[in-house]
Amino acid sequence: MNACSNVFAVSCPGEQVSGVETLQREQELNRFLAEVEKRALRIVEISIRDRDEALDLVQNAMIKLVRKYSGRASVEWTPLFYRILQNGVRDWHRRQAVRKRVIVWFGASSNDEPDVISSAPDTAGRTPQEQLESREAMQGLERALAALPGRQREAFMLRTFEGLDVAGTATAMGCSAGSVKTHYSRAVHSLRETLGEHWQ
Amino acid sequence: MSEHKDDERFAKRAKHLFDESVQDIDGQTQSRLNRSRQKALSEIGRRPAMGALGVWAPATGIAAAAVVAVTLWSGNRQPTDIVPPSTATDFEILLDEDSLEMLEELEFYSWMDLDGDAGANVG
Repeated sequence: MNACSNVFAVSCPGEQVSGVETLQREQELNRFLAEVEKRALRIVEISIRDRDEALDLVQNAMIKLVRKYSGRASVEWTPLFYRILQNGVRDWHRRQAVRKRVIVWFGASSNDEPDVISSAPDTAGRTPQEQLESREAMQGLERALAALPGRQREAFMLRTFEGLDVAGTATAMGCSAGSVKTHYSRAVHSLRETLGEHWQ
Repeated sequence: MSEHKDDERFAKRAKHLFDESVQDIDGQTQSRLNRSRQKALSEIGRRPAMGALGVWAPATGIAAAAVVAVTLWSGNRQPTDIVPPSTATDFEILLDEDSLEMLEELEFYSWMDLDGDAGANVG
């Protein structure tokens, strides 16, 4: 029985992907993206301080991953996804820099809206006071992260928030493992210095 | 050694706060993420077709442009019975003093024309 006799096969010799394989791959990708999407959104949001833009960047990264790398082994997806995402974040910062220059040139004022804190009920069973303290601490951390050089911020968030190892972070950042260690170490020291002892 | 432990403790605390902030993502945003994921996943089946189109699109475009260019070029070369008016002649007519006088007295010439027809019928 050859591949073409399989009723689920959508392709004949020359094309290797059958319907079953496509379905399995789709399910795998769905699980992967569902698992990573919220953390990815927060990481991008911390980097660019804009949720709508962050959602767009995450969506673009998802589409690019599916288009270009869905055929790769699933263990490669996390660093590849974050590599696409970090490239998107860097492009966004470049575009913003150009936009700011244009805005300054024409004398217009930027219309940055303040972050809106969600008023949804707490799902982790924290008291309002605990929630408030957590949010304030996180906002402090986000401000400190925003003040870091971009590469240090990337290294810290990928290692700490996403839990990538040094090799995975290096792939995501497109640099050597040694650079990751240096960026990460500098980021931690800088953050600790900025936030002070009381934060811990 | 203590410094290293402090770094670890700091990272752990940061991770904990981050995870809490992930849990706090509102339903509307989660819904948008879900839609984004479905949109991305819909690209799986479409990928080969898009790839084939992507490869042939420039060649198809060039071929179509060439066909249009050849059609227009050969169309211009076909002899026609209609002689297009010369732009230079038009200008000469417009700038001619007599023509301007004629335009000024257009009503008179129109009356003459009607009168002549009427006369011919009478005669």
